[in-house]
Amino acid sequence: MFGYILRRLLYAVPISLGVTVLVFALVHIAPGDPLNAVVGGDAPADVVEKLKADYGFDKPLPVQYARWLGRAVSGDLGLSVVNNQPVANALANAIPNTLMLAVVATSFGFVLGALLGGLAGYYQGTWIDKLATAFGVAGVSIPHYWLGIVLVIIFAVELQWLPATGIGPGGSEGWAWDWLHVRHLVLPAITLSVIPCGIITRTVRATVAEILSLEFVQALSAKGLLHRRIMMHIVKNAAPTVLAVMGLQLGYLLGGSILVETVFNWPGTGYLLNDAIFRRDIPMLQGTILVLALFFVGLNLLVDVVQTLVDPRMRRS
Amino acid sequence: MNIVTPAAPAQIDAGQVAMHSRGYWTTVLQRLGRDRVTLFFASIVLIIIASALMADVLAPLDPHKASMIKRLKPVGTPGHILGTDETGRDMLSRLLFGGRLSLFMGITPVLAALLIGGALGIIAGFVGGITNMLIMRTMDVFYAFPSVLLAIAISGALGAGIFNAILSLTLVFIPPLARVAESVTTQVRNLDYVEAARASGAKAGTIIRVHVLANVLGAIFIYATSLISVSIILASGLSFLGLGVKPPEPEWGLMLNTLRQAIYVNPVLAALPGVMIFVTSLSFNLVSDGLRSAMDIRM
Amino acid sequence: MKIRALRNYFAAVSLAALACSSVTPALAQGTLRIGMTANDVPLTWGQPDNGFEGYRFVGLTIYDALINWDLTTSDKPSGLIPGLAESWSVDEADKTKWTFKLRKGVKFHDGSEFDADAVVFNFEKLFDAKSPQYNARQGSLVNFRMPGYQGVKKIDKYTVEFTTKEPDSFFPFQICYFLIASPAQWAKTKDWNKFAQEPSGTGPFKLEKLAARERAEFVPFKEHWDKSRVPKLDKLILLPLPDPSARTAALLSGQVDWIEAPAPDAIPRIKSQGMTVVSNVYPHVWPWHFSRVEGSPWNDIRVRKAANLAVDRAGIVQLLGGFGVPATGHVVKGSPWYGTPKFEIKTDVSAAKKLMAEAGYGPGKPLKVKMTISASGSGQMLPLQMNEYIQQNLKEVGIDVEYKVVEWQALLDIWRAGAKAPQAEGTHGVNVSYTTQDPFSAFTRFLRSDVHAPKGVNFGFYADPAMDALLKEAQVTFDAKGRDAVLAKVHTKEVDDALFLWVVHDVAPRAMSPKVKGFVQSQNWFQSLSGVFIQ
Repeated sequence: MFGYILRRLLYAVPISLGVTVLVFALVHIAPGDPLNAVVGGDAPADVVEKLKADYGFDKPLPVQYARWLGRAVSGDLGLSVVNNQPVANALANAIPNTLMLAVVATSFGFVLGALLGGLAGYYQGTWIDKLATAFGVAGVSIPHYWLGIVLVIIFAVELQWLPATGIGPGGSEGWAWDWLHVRHLVLPAITLSVIPCGIITRTVRATVAEILSLEFVQALSAKGLLHRRIMMHIVKNAAPTVLAVMGLQLGYLLGGSILVETVFNWPGTGYLLNDAIFRRDIPMLQGTILVLALFFVGLNLLVDVVQTLVDPRMRRS
Repeated sequence: MNIVTPAAPAQIDAGQVAMHSRGYWTTVLQRLGRDRVTLFFASIVLIIIASALMADVLAPLDPHKASMIKRLKPVGTPGHILGTDETGRDMLSRLLFGGRLSLFMGITPVLAALLIGGALGIIAGFVGGITNMLIMRTMDVFYAFPSVLLAIAISGALGAGIFNAILSLTLVFIPPLARVAESVTTQVRNLDYVEAARASGAKAGTIIRVHVLANVLGAIFIYATSLISVSIILASGLSFLGLGVKPPEPEWGLMLNTLRQAIYVNPVLAALPGVMIFVTSLSFNLVSDGLRSAMDIRM
Repeated sequence: MKIRALRNYFAAVSLAALACSSVTPALAQGTLRIGMTANDVPLTWGQPDNGFEGYRFVGLTIYDALINWDLTTSDKPSGLIPGLAESWSVDEADKTKWTFKLRKGVKFHDGSEFDADAVVFNFEKLFDAKSPQYNARQGSLVNFRMPGYQGVKKIDKYTVEFTTKEPDSFFPFQICYFLIASPAQWAKTKDWNKFAQEPSGTGPFKLEKLAARERAEFVPFKEHWDKSRVPKLDKLILLPLPDPSARTAALLSGQVDWIEAPAPDAIPRIKSQGMTVVSNVYPHVWPWHFSRVEGSPWNDIRVRKAANLAVDRAGIVQLLGGFGVPATGHVVKGSPWYGTPKFEIKTDVSAAKKLMAEAGYGPGKPLKVKMTISASGSGQMLPLQMNEYIQQNLKEVGIDVEYKVVEWQALLDIWRAGAKAPQAEGTHGVNVSYTTQDPFSAFTRFLRSDVHAPKGVNFGFYADPAMDALLKEAQVTFDAKGRDAVLAKVHTKEVDDALFLWVVHDVAPRAMSPKVKGFVQSQNWFQSLSGVFIQ
């Protein structure tokens, strides 16, 4: 088993390198001048040329890649061309915010999804099943950025129960786990949780239904075994799959919260990315995508390893 | 808006494969005929597709014709059944034409990815060895990105436009489709009777055509239908961010964005494009579910 | 325009909702939170980015220029008043030399003293690549506003002398964009990026805290040299909120007290909640800037005039919720530079059709033009909706417009590179909103034949010797009345030749909570926050 884990770990290395190449290529296939955003309205061309040399954009691409990778390995992701501050610092500020949002949303989605999915699978074919399933499908079908806008109108503007935007009175530096701050987290987290909630509902329902249909479980049930025993059995057998799905969902939310963060002005990586795209801040774009993708690779690896440890039959090729 | 990773690849057992005969399809149709939910949503999908295709005929007015005097009329206004948008254009006409673009942007990438990813996966699965490794490890690199991130990163880099949005979504969908195709192909290839056919000297092309395609297509087709819903939401998300369709072309995501400011004046109107995206995506999802269970394919 | 506070029947409903809602946390008395349209806090290191919004909230709060705009009145266009210079004059014998007498006893936020060395230091930072404090990026943000700059030298501790390449009567207007940062503060780190975190100027607000993309917090600088400009507020917080609906929601849910450019359609709703919406004319114009290179359809004056006659400006003002003024030229009627143009800009579709027919186009043979526009941007108002409407208007007279939508910065890049550049992709024009605050920005930079790319932003490569002569005359006319008369001739010719498609002038709507008092909206892109307080 440890040989397998070791192989998985080693395998992550070429994948990560591939990711860096893709990320680097991505921002250079783009048309236009990477310094668009740097210079003021109508700066003359000679100034622009000088700045290009300063930022190293005048070198051939392989050289730029090698220099960028070399620095990235040592944790230096370059300077933002928009505000000249280190990309690594901006990411260090943004990642905890996104992580917080994603973890809360995934947990919320997990609890609700497991509950709904469990009920649906247990009472398969009844109206409870139909309702929970409908909820699950709706969760994965709704354009969640739109849901976010609707929630803001209802709960922030009309009812004035919750704030519409931002992360709290002190910005991300002043974050604290009290209601004054946590209330800013509620709407974005709920908006973001509908997808994992939908997916987990469907996964749990399918898993529970499958376990219940197994012959020996039906036999146990026929023997008059206690419901609680059967439930324990379900939980034990469904847990690895559900946890794996949840782990992956967390990864998706880290990279996929861009629309929700944009709607709520949540100062996380998605907001950073959106800003970087529209201002063509290339070092910021590269740094953010790279870190998010590597995070995702790591999370995938972790899910695999944990799954293997829990249940050696679950190895993924 | 995520692609569910096929953590456990499509499982097909020998018995099921053997069933892929005339009798199997009769069973599938019988099952579908009994599944009223799927039939209902399939008819909604058909209605949406048909109305988008026939937008020229069905739309009461020119979707580009603006008039400031008539702007933001509520739903139910005579002459404008679904009201008018922020520049006074007929909402019904725009939703019909918008559906055309939204569906086009949602379905095209999945079809393109089905062809490319399917072909890559079948080749990788059938040939195996180094070819398999090269193809599948390249796919793994794309797989290292969450789908939304990859789509937005590619279209963000390429710039706004329908073509770029479709291109980026196609790139997003190729790896998962290739993975499903590869895993099913590998399973089928190793089945006894395929081995037997190979041993008896059948040409590779014949084996692929007769045995592999027949068994693999169903699985990846079902998987692809489940991606359409994801694709529609992603495509409209790109337009919502300003990375998709260019004005004045109507598209649901873009309409959602531009009507966002009218939400204080006429919330029902502003919600309409969102409802359309939701209903369409929901219907595709449920039809895909129904087909899957009718064909008895587990993902 | 007057401050209006309308309430309608919604007010009761929303007030009731307000009463039973959980209350927004109490803040220190006198904290003003502003939602800006920029998507980041503008650069704080001296010369701001993000256009004039950057100057408004970060530039002129932390810094002063040698000459300032008078932002104290709302009923007339702002004039120039002494800033860090008490007086200035041009050398009568050699009109390329300007002497500035500096204000004595002015302190920077770090306690160091302002003097002639500080002025020289700041101009070398921008123009002298060999100076240790040189910063190309800051230079690129402002130097184009003074292409005639030659040099500056210290005469004594409180006197400096500027030289320009040619006589330039616009010089005092242009010097307003050059902000003076503290040399002593820079010397502590010798790094402008670090300076940006703890900037020091002489302006009425001190930066206290800066979090990129999130917020900037300011406290008053009580030792400001002009006691009337010491802020009444305890604290000023700037929040970047680029989306108009998000800004509106933030105001309505009580998270900010003031938003720039609310969504026009949300304004009735904002007022119904007891909020104030203020607006005022200011020197802004929203035009199409034509390409005049060979092959451009806009080279035909009949087509340019037809386009100007085809646009339904009243409809666009309606789209803007009434917050706009139909344009009849580059500057507003009543401006001393307006002049007496014979070509009357209004909506006259039949006249437009006639002109198009004369130019050889008609219903069966439409003229095809390609324009490059943005989806957002400061001063761009509602670019997508407005352009879509104009597209419809022009279609009616036989002009088929095809748009290329690019994002705001990309549009500025194309604009700067000029119509002949490869990235312009043969576009026939751009839609960029302009300031008409000073003569150089309003006229010279677009109309002088030698300031095209890469030297300047005559995007369309427009060239007319008669116009060049007029601009030159204005530049060397040093008496203000005489200069205005020449500029009126420039504008008259500009309108009669229909050099742009002029659409509307913005009136800068701002929405604020009723607690915000004491704000006087000047007729300017810049605003003073010194008199504002919270009650």
